[in-house]
Amino acid sequence: MSEVIVTVKDRPIREVNREIKAALAEGNKVIVRDTRSRHNLGVGLPPGADIRFEGSVGYYCGGLNDGANIEVERNVGWSCGEAMASGEILVNGYAGMSLGASMRGGLIHVKGDAGPRCGVAMKGGDIVVEGKIGYMAGFMSHAGRIIALSGAGEACADSLWGGEVWVAGPIESLGVDSKVVEPSSQEIASVEKLLDELGLGDNSHQWQKIVSAQRLWHFESRDASAWLMI
Amino acid sequence: MADDMKKPYEYPFEMPSEDAVAMKDGGVEDRPAGVPKSYARGESVSWTPESISEIHALSRLGRYQIRGFNSFNHRLPSFDDLTFVPATMTRLPLEGYRESCDTKTVLGGGSGLVENPLELDIPIYIASMSFGALSANAKAALGYGASKVGTLTCTGEGGMLEDERRASRTLVYQMTPSRYMLDLAHLRMADAIELVVGQGAKPGTGGLLLGMKVSERVAGMRSLPSGVDQRSTVRHPDFLGADDMQVKIEELREATDYKVPIFLKMGATRPRYDVAIAAKAGVDVVVVDGAEGGTGASPELLLNHTGIPTMTAIRAAREALDECGMSGKVSLVAAGGIRSGTDAAKCLALGADAVMVGTGSLIALGCNSPRYFDGYEALGTEPGRCHHCHTGLCPVGIATQEPELEERIDVPAAAERVARYLTAMTMEITLLAKACGKSSVHNLEVEDLRALSTEASAFTGVKLAGIDRPFSW
Repeated sequence: MSEVIVTVKDRPIREVNREIKAALAEGNKVIVRDTRSRHNLGVGLPPGADIRFEGSVGYYCGGLNDGANIEVERNVGWSCGEAMASGEILVNGYAGMSLGASMRGGLIHVKGDAGPRCGVAMKGGDIVVEGKIGYMAGFMSHAGRIIALSGAGEACADSLWGGEVWVAGPIESLGVDSKVVEPSSQEIASVEKLLDELGLGDNSHQWQKIVSAQRLWHFESRDASAWLMI
Repeated sequence: MADDMKKPYEYPFEMPSEDAVAMKDGGVEDRPAGVPKSYARGESVSWTPESISEIHALSRLGRYQIRGFNSFNHRLPSFDDLTFVPATMTRLPLEGYRESCDTKTVLGGGSGLVENPLELDIPIYIASMSFGALSANAKAALGYGASKVGTLTCTGEGGMLEDERRASRTLVYQMTPSRYMLDLAHLRMADAIELVVGQGAKPGTGGLLLGMKVSERVAGMRSLPSGVDQRSTVRHPDFLGADDMQVKIEELREATDYKVPIFLKMGATRPRYDVAIAAKAGVDVVVVDGAEGGTGASPELLLNHTGIPTMTAIRAAREALDECGMSGKVSLVAAGGIRSGTDAAKCLALGADAVMVGTGSLIALGCNSPRYFDGYEALGTEPGRCHHCHTGLCPVGIATQEPELEERIDVPAAAERVARYLTAMTMEITLLAKACGKSSVHNLEVEDLRALSTEASAFTGVKLAGIDRPFSW
């Protein structure tokens, strides 16, 4: 596999993405330079693609990813990896709002903090944030795991349908219809195994596992108070 | 008053008896004459039997009421408030039974950016209704029926159902805020993408699917626990305002390589501004869904008391596109309460490029048809009045996920009825268009209409019948 360098600068994004896809189709690893925080870089990349963005990127980087291995040297804007089905995204810096929105599979790993609503409407896969996750993390997510190693902002795990939010460190407040439960040792082992693979294994984590309290799953007059909390 | 009573007036005759004052010489016994109705029937402006029963329901349920179908607010203007004024002396009609009238409709071709705009044979298509709200058989029948007459269907928010993709020659893939089963492969299998920021039945509120319809299959596609009362999000997870949406639209174009048009569906609220903003954000087609728009389930108050009527929204939307020079570049689709080709023709004349029918197409499938009377009775209703889509107990198998109910749809027969309904609607449109002297249905214009009520004229700017001036202040 050889490396191909694609330069972004102020070129039309359509042209840049075409060049990226063509290079990937030939089996090359792609290095993208001069990214200038541009939006929509590396959208809908195919399985097996290997790509690294130098610098920071804007919105929707790695959006609709279906099996590509993506690395961003610095920060990502809103909705990195949105609707991702499979593959891996590594962000060495910080992530903006809606990281991994409605993703269905794969792994997103952020070394810094993640902004508000990371894992919003998530349907599967894993998000690992070494820093803190912003407010309303996991808002109305259905499935999958959000794992934060340095705390969570307000309204954490708000209105979960399903899925899990794992937090080591302080949680500013819980969102509506969520509750902290005691994780089983197998569940902890599964989380630690994932972290181990990312070089983050550390058995001293004090985990708080948050799941849906399921009070908003049904319209029920006998539980009218549940509806008044929203 | 008390002072006035100090000096009682004296009649020059004897005080009459109480029985005489009470008209006891023939009046109804024990009831004051003159106001008998107030005894038998309350006529309060506020406390009608309906509003009283509403309070009894609220006080029992502890929540708002939920139902399907569309608005029961009888104050909404009707398409019947408009009439056509065909060619007479100032214009020449076409032969209604002989000459042809073009019905071809292109959506999303205006910007020149899209490789494959949608080319429909007729200016009508099947509205976005999800698998979940509808049964798989209903979705398939709509797909085949629409395909036969050269038009499209739309997935709705439940993800792409194989049965529908197979049945529909042209299929729009809907992206609602909930993003159920959003899949890149499906996105690339679609003939267009529709971003939803609202719907006419309940603008500003997300979709609703009660647990009875969240079957294993539906739940699987939506990655939800089966049986939950699913309330979908209304804000998109990955963008907020119009500026972000512009970036999102570019993302979708990148993902689909600029091949397919991008629709944006909105509930009609402030179309003059909303449509202009949508056009600026770069969509190819704007779908404006009026307050009469139907739904499988909604809080009832939203059906009855939110949004503006379809006919009013079309004029505002068209004027907005004209004002920002986007007419011809962005297509305008109107929806909400369109029953017939006549209604559809009025929408085209008001400024729509195409119309979308939802409930009408379900009625063609067999909704509210006089069969399976026991099923209607169990719901406390009867054919012609059923609006219980939300229960999942649809007697005719359309708005249900119960296998034994769903089997009541004979897919080929239902598909053929949809095809004939759409054909008949198209004939109705061309008949009116030709009477107005138009060789294309898209040449229908506001001048072809007159309003039969000051309200309809004031709402739409259509001239009042006879006086030939729009009602104005």
